[in-house]
Amino acid sequence: MTPLEHENGNPGGISQRPQPELALRSSREFTSSDLPNNTASNSSSQIRTKISLSSSESRLPLIAGPSLIYKSRSPSNLRSQSHERSSSSSRGSSSTTSAYDSNETHRQIIVRSFAPRVAVFASSDTEDFVKQKGFKDGLYSLLRPYGEHLHGKVVIRDSMGGSRGWDDFGIRIINSQALQTNSTHRADGEMVDRDARNLVNGSQRVSEHTRSSHSNETVKSIDRVLDRYLRTTDAASEGQGKAYVDLERTSYGSRSGLSPLYPVYLRKLLSSASIAPYETFLHPVACLIAVSSHHPAPIEALRQLYSNTGHESQKVPAWMGMEYLRYYVLIHDEENDDITKSTALFDLMKRHFGLHCHLLRLRRSQCVLTDDDSTRVPSCEWLSAEEEIEKLSMGDDADDVELSEKYILESDSTAIKNLLREMVTQSIVPFMESRVMTWNDQVASRRRGIGGRFISLSKRWTGFGTAKSTTLGLAGVSNPSGSNYDYQQGFYPPETPESTMRQLGDYAFMLRDWKLASSTYDFLRADFGHDKAWGHHAAANEMAAITSLLVPHAFSSKSRSELLDQMLENAAYSYLTRCSMPFNVIRCLTIAIELLKNRGPVAADDAARWGGKLLEFGVLTLSAQALTTERVAECYISRTGPDFAAAGTRKRQAALWTVLASDSWLRLDRPDQARVRLREASALYGIDNQDSAGLPFPSMQGLWQRLNSALRDAGGDDYAALIDTSVAQPDFQLDTAEEKEQLNAFIRPSILSSTDAEGFTPQDAGHIHPTSLDDSQLQDDGFE
Amino acid sequence: MSYYFCIVGTRDQPLFELEFGTSKQGGDGVARFSQEARHMNPFIVHSSLDFVDELQWTNNQMYLKRIDQFASSHISTFLTPTSTRFMLLHLPHPPNTAPTSQPMPNSFPPFTPYTSVPPSTSTASRGTSSSSSTSIPNNPTSPQTEEAIRQFFGEVFEVWLKAIMNPFASTESKIGSPVFKQRVVAAGRKYL
Repeated sequence: MTPLEHENGNPGGISQRPQPELALRSSREFTSSDLPNNTASNSSSQIRTKISLSSSESRLPLIAGPSLIYKSRSPSNLRSQSHERSSSSSRGSSSTTSAYDSNETHRQIIVRSFAPRVAVFASSDTEDFVKQKGFKDGLYSLLRPYGEHLHGKVVIRDSMGGSRGWDDFGIRIINSQALQTNSTHRADGEMVDRDARNLVNGSQRVSEHTRSSHSNETVKSIDRVLDRYLRTTDAASEGQGKAYVDLERTSYGSRSGLSPLYPVYLRKLLSSASIAPYETFLHPVACLIAVSSHHPAPIEALRQLYSNTGHESQKVPAWMGMEYLRYYVLIHDEENDDITKSTALFDLMKRHFGLHCHLLRLRRSQCVLTDDDSTRVPSCEWLSAEEEIEKLSMGDDADDVELSEKYILESDSTAIKNLLREMVTQSIVPFMESRVMTWNDQVASRRRGIGGRFISLSKRWTGFGTAKSTTLGLAGVSNPSGSNYDYQQGFYPPETPESTMRQLGDYAFMLRDWKLASSTYDFLRADFGHDKAWGHHAAANEMAAITSLLVPHAFSSKSRSELLDQMLENAAYSYLTRCSMPFNVIRCLTIAIELLKNRGPVAADDAARWGGKLLEFGVLTLSAQALTTERVAECYISRTGPDFAAAGTRKRQAALWTVLASDSWLRLDRPDQARVRLREASALYGIDNQDSAGLPFPSMQGLWQRLNSALRDAGGDDYAALIDTSVAQPDFQLDTAEEKEQLNAFIRPSILSSTDAEGFTPQDAGHIHPTSLDDSQLQDDGFE
Repeated sequence: MSYYFCIVGTRDQPLFELEFGTSKQGGDGVARFSQEARHMNPFIVHSSLDFVDELQWTNNQMYLKRIDQFASSHISTFLTPTSTRFMLLHLPHPPNTAPTSQPMPNSFPPFTPYTSVPPSTSTASRGTSSSSSTSIPNNPTSPQTEEAIRQFFGEVFEVWLKAIMNPFASTESKIGSPVFKQRVVAAGRKYL
């Protein structure tokens, strides 16, 4: 794996990194394009003689055929393009700039998104202290940005005993209130209360209902964030506003304007899940109990806070395991308190609570930019969509700079970094490792052995008479089939082996021990299926699919694609039809698409197929649809190179999906993106150079011209000017004047031909103007 | 079921295009593609040529069966020995009625599913749906449909052979003969 990529953090030094690699690649392109081109020969070899030709001979026409047809770019053209690519990469800041690396980026985003959570329980005097420092949301908001990026490597031991250091390990620090409700930030307080009650005491149906409505809500809020970003990039391109930090850093795509939004979308998708019984990624792995040196009775305060973290406080839902780590922090006020007193207190703490303690020395005063050795608090990368909306809307109201950029003293930031690093490397990771080991020994291996299989089998058989006929709705019968599943409330109690296994799998996943996680999920998905615990079933299938994709070279391609298809199908079907949680379907399939694409060109086909399925489910919002369509096109484009002539090129598929992506952007009223995609499609169809015969099928003209004329309308009077400006962007450049001429030439006829497309608006882009294609002729052709 | 039939030459140029509907189950043989679908069809057929090109080296049959699916449309292919490709796109819907799209909140053409193939069942229970309905117009994946299309292709192949045996015709030029079209229409009426 390539070293961690700082997308949002400090770009120092990293900007130079991708260059040599890129230079290599472009030089390779030189040679491949400078080859005498296998297009020259072979119009005669079109005849397909199946019987007589040996297989080695028969390769030749295959290779020659497609390139003959798609001689879209002249070698010189290609060379200049690759040159541009490398030059634009040196300009781009921190993110990688080659199409291949962007895959790796997405994989990293996915891996990093499943990070352990740490809940913060702070005493009220601590919260006051932090508020004085200028962090209104309390201690967790101060720690959170630092938790996402731990400096230095974190070494993790896996179940086989091997160790590996990870550069990009992080934790998510959450507020303790987030545990009590499904989602942290909901406008309606009463609603939150009701949800919490439902989840703790309520019937399954109600909680299921709220879950699905949450799911819908999450999809909507992600859409709102996307919409927001789209508008801000608009403003930025017109020079009226400043683009948000994330967007700038993630570079305007690698190859001819991949949407910069996609990484943002992926991040939001991965960080917006709400806490649920069927997966334990969002359950806290540890909780941080903090008290400040101001408190008159700190030990009692810590005890009080400790009791809040358990079940008796009624603050935590019943399905959440309580076996997490408690970490005690004493915050020492450097300006007002005596350090000797604090040290004494800290020693006392250590005696009372054991080793998981830390003394954090902070200064009380608020810091501003002009102070000596002030340093900027990094921004949070993993805000959920709802938090993001809140932040953005706050940014609108108040002063931009003040809100988005906070400063603390260098010494404070170092202290916090040390706290988190020590907590992770000395407490959290060892704790998780030992839990994984214990559970693996006590629960999983017992379940895995012959005996375990027998027990689960006999359990199923003894319950046979009554089990199959009882339905979910039968209240009172909590365990109709002798399983541990609580049908009434819809979850496994945390002490049951199933729930523990799930936690084992999730812990192993977060520690990046994918083999163990994969085998654990594999067991679980059968068990959950038998118990008809559909939410759990879907989640286990999802994770089993994801882990099997993360394990390097686990499958041969045949068995992989079959097993994987089955798991993804189960997950998608259970999520969508049985639980109606569209958000999870989108998340599951989007991750699957990214990981499949990451596995190389053969799997990219599968990725594209799942992308198509995801689109057919009808769960995506418009902007998400556009991005997913673009992704599918990307999957096919990755198989268009000259190397794939024998393995089966996907140039025509790529062209189709690029046209569809263009159409989607147009529907979103984003003519700039649509134009870029359409231009790309015209290159793929090979109609961007002079000696082309136009679109391969004359009947394609209809849709093509509709898109063109719609783009012309959207562009307004200065359409030609718009082309020039968009062309001048670093990622998409037509280098010669004559090429621009060509471009105009191929757009202009459509302007003339579709004079009556006046009432066209992007909203009814689905409607096609009848005159653009010779429909009447087609109708006549149909039947006499 | 509505059909879009296309003969594609070796340079991916269409040599013959025809739309028709089912004649089984009292169908009147008129294609009922929506405007949207009608414009998408050539794009879809063109894109599935990628799969034909790949399959032709692994499959030694001339009839390649159903090779691709895009949203609700399915594509079957027949490959002649001269690499001319017969592509048949079939869109399932009840006969004599236009395909009506399911009302779904977040579904946009061309991915709108049609009533005969609900999207949720099509993924998980393809096996069961084929047992429930085996009629040609409703189920594009059933063996009956596969067989009917095979017969259709066989007949068209025969007619096409006769057409290209004309000394003035080439395998790469458009087929403009009205007789040829009549024969293809007849084959469609007979089998599909």
